[in-house]
Amino acid sequence: MARAAGERLGAVEGQDGGPAGVRVSSGGARRDVGVLVVVAVVGAAAALRPLLQDLLATPAVAHWATIFVSIAVQAFPFLILGVSISAAVAAFVRPAILARVLPRRPALAVPVAAAAGAALPGCECGSVPIAGRLVASGVAPAAALAFLLSAPAINPVVLVATAVAFPGRPEMVVARLLASLLAATVVGLIWSRIGRDALVERARRRAAPEGSRLTVLIATAQHDLLHAGGFLIVGAATAATLQTVVPRSVLDHVAGSGLVAVLAMAALAVAMSICSEADAFVALSLTQFSLAARLTFLVVGPMVDVKLVALQAGTFGRAFAVRFAPLAFLVAVASSVLIGWWLL
Amino acid sequence: MTAAGGTISLLVGAVLLRLTLTGAYTRYVRPGMAPWLVIAGIVAATLGAVTVIRVLRRLPSVVGDGHHDDGQTARAGWLLLAPIAALLLVAPPALGSYGVGRGATVDVRAGAPVFDPLPADARAVPMSLLEYAQRAAEADGASFNGATVELTGFVAGPDTDGFRLARYQIACCAADAAPVVVRVVGVHGDLPPRDEWVTVTGRFDPAGEQLPMLVAIGVTPIPQPDDPYE
Repeated sequence: MARAAGERLGAVEGQDGGPAGVRVSSGGARRDVGVLVVVAVVGAAAALRPLLQDLLATPAVAHWATIFVSIAVQAFPFLILGVSISAAVAAFVRPAILARVLPRRPALAVPVAAAAGAALPGCECGSVPIAGRLVASGVAPAAALAFLLSAPAINPVVLVATAVAFPGRPEMVVARLLASLLAATVVGLIWSRIGRDALVERARRRAAPEGSRLTVLIATAQHDLLHAGGFLIVGAATAATLQTVVPRSVLDHVAGSGLVAVLAMAALAVAMSICSEADAFVALSLTQFSLAARLTFLVVGPMVDVKLVALQAGTFGRAFAVRFAPLAFLVAVASSVLIGWWLL
Repeated sequence: MTAAGGTISLLVGAVLLRLTLTGAYTRYVRPGMAPWLVIAGIVAATLGAVTVIRVLRRLPSVVGDGHHDDGQTARAGWLLLAPIAALLLVAPPALGSYGVGRGATVDVRAGAPVFDPLPADARAVPMSLLEYAQRAAEADGASFNGATVELTGFVAGPDTDGFRLARYQIACCAADAAPVVVRVVGVHGDLPPRDEWVTVTGRFDPAGEQLPMLVAIGVTPIPQPDDPYE
């Protein structure tokens, strides 16, 4: 398999050698350097291939690399979906319409936006570029953020997956839906009170590019894909590192149902960064924890995890992410404890 | 990020398509993801190709011409080159014995079905390690009914009088993998090396305490299955 990869490399290098060559011969603007760098990086990696293979012979490194690649590969189709919707909104929906659809008062707009999250199938990677686009189109940041938090947790695909993972326990699905909606709404309302628009300035400044609709569609999709994809890579690498360095068996020491167990489940959700469509199956296997503690895992995961925080930092800016992630974490934990105490 | 961005996007699409078409993607995600990976690969590659063509033809292709972008944003896309380079050259292997015992194991009692007894006289019944562990947990393995079974997994390491056979369950991608482990005893001759894939035939033995136990009749090395997970 690895050998086949090497044999095909020639073809790939030829592929991007083409455009690079054409650009250089046609006069060499500054941006042509970029293509050469891409070719150089792939070429350098090819030269270092024996080194890479030696590294992968170390079990811990191979484990890390497999998880890193898995998170990236698994997330990519959802990212593409989110980027496509974001680009379509930029190209075909006039900003004024979006702003008019939502109620003007935050007390109404936030819950409506949170409930609208149910309409976006998929997991969290798709909702970040869409929320960024909503802010750029003039939607109140608090409403866009409520959508960002609720969409990955309450869409039908995720709820069905939860029902499949917990057969005979429909209260788990109801609890997840309610706790996620509650947390998204509360975070949105808090943000509408104390959040400053300056914090989402990066997303705001992304005024839609000018030109024909096709130009807008292509340019926006390309920009968002690279940009969100890059931050996805940061998040996937962080999550893979945490999973490799900290064995999940440390959790056995804090098992149970107390507050420590709840916080351990919340921390696990942040560190693992698994897709919201799969987290119910992982929660199922964590039987040393109470159902309420596992509800926390299901509520926190789609709202705050290292992969998601990296994506949010990329879309909205770092100053935003360092304030928003702790807020969402605290509210998600509190909401899941409350609903878990009531229903489970 | 213009022509270079387009090239990176093209490469991302090419890598996704290559992973899917060579079947290597099953090391990372469920086989059911294949159509979505193909669609994502085609979209990314097409987008990249169109961007490169528009740059070459000097059509507008830059969002806001970059003035709204601070350096961080523009640089981020370059990070995509890391997995591209790694995957084009050496695709990381499927998860192996390193992670067994580090992660939570699958809890076989959660939602386990009620099993019919196996026919006692039939030839070896192939089953997943999960089913084996679930049958073993149910009524002390009464449903095995003395039948011979056939399990396929990798060697997770030696154990008293044999070795541990393991296979990961994944729900979505390898990041959520949890291993099922079966203790294989009564192995004659040399133990198969760690991380080698084997098919084991044998009979259930209720003496296993922590792990379900199998008394081996035969151990055959095999190549890694197309889908290394259950």
